[in-house]
Amino acid sequence: MGPKKETKEASASAKKKDAPAATTTATASAKKTTKTAGNTTTATKVVTKERKEKVKSTALKAKQRVVRGNQLTRKRKIHTKPTFRRPFTLRLQRQPKYPRRSVPKRNRLDHFAIIKYPLTTESAMKKIEDNNTLVFIVNIRANKPLIKQAVKKMYDVDAEKVNTLIRPDGEKKAYVRLKADHDALDVANRIGII
Amino acid sequence: MTRIKCSQLRGKKPDEVQKQLSDLRQELNTLRVGKVTGSGGAQKLGKIRNVRKSIARVLIVRNQTTKDNLRKLYHGKKYKPKDLRKRKTRAIRRLFTPKENSVQLRKVQRRQWAFPQRIYAVKA
Repeated sequence: MGPKKETKEASASAKKKDAPAATTTATASAKKTTKTAGNTTTATKVVTKERKEKVKSTALKAKQRVVRGNQLTRKRKIHTKPTFRRPFTLRLQRQPKYPRRSVPKRNRLDHFAIIKYPLTTESAMKKIEDNNTLVFIVNIRANKPLIKQAVKKMYDVDAEKVNTLIRPDGEKKAYVRLKADHDALDVANRIGII
Repeated sequence: MTRIKCSQLRGKKPDEVQKQLSDLRQELNTLRVGKVTGSGGAQKLGKIRNVRKSIARVLIVRNQTTKDNLRKLYHGKKYKPKDLRKRKTRAIRRLFTPKENSVQLRKVQRRQWAFPQRIYAVKA
């Protein structure tokens, strides 16, 4: 019993000697040394600072494991249906490192390109006077909403509706009926079709 | 109309170039209307060609300057847009780089270091 205690005390004191060197608090260790000096004769255990920390860390780990759940013994999911469908997984957005094209393609069908020229035939003139419509030859790839926008942008007029047809010679003709508050004759004069 | 020169255009700012472009296209449209209505005559009809070519020049200058600036922007970067990389041919782009070509086995390296090609000279 005696020699055991002595060795324990020796190891404890050795530990104590290391602890102050490692830690910054000198006063706490000094306290500990005085405590141990008093307890050399009794059989009480010597608790160093290091041992306290070790105990604390193991306790913390145990707590974490309880909270997290041990990975080795996981609960199995109960499947109530015979089919297995792929679960929703994380789908990230693209974060390209470089744009594939340095410059984005320019819009070849802008309003300058849509309206080619107005028609000035006799029937077109009749349309201007009687039906408040303008007649344009238009890019064949333009559709009615685009034609409406282009007319608004170029000539500052609102269209009530647009009718289109493709001529036998391959050009698209657009009948653009203007809203009641615009006068087709005035607009035609402004554009240059008389 | 005075002839638009590319050298003049290159000095301009991008907004000015853009404005010039839209002006020219507007002019082209009015000329086309004139062509249909039969006004103007030979002079106006001849002008159409000039305006078309001027528009082409403006677009050339505009696109060249933007491409140039982008090349400067991406200079030295690891990842460039594909149209700024060198084109060559598809096969050449897939060849090993000179560095990849020169990679040797460590065994070979050691052998070359240990037993280099010796050069002898005969004493006269």
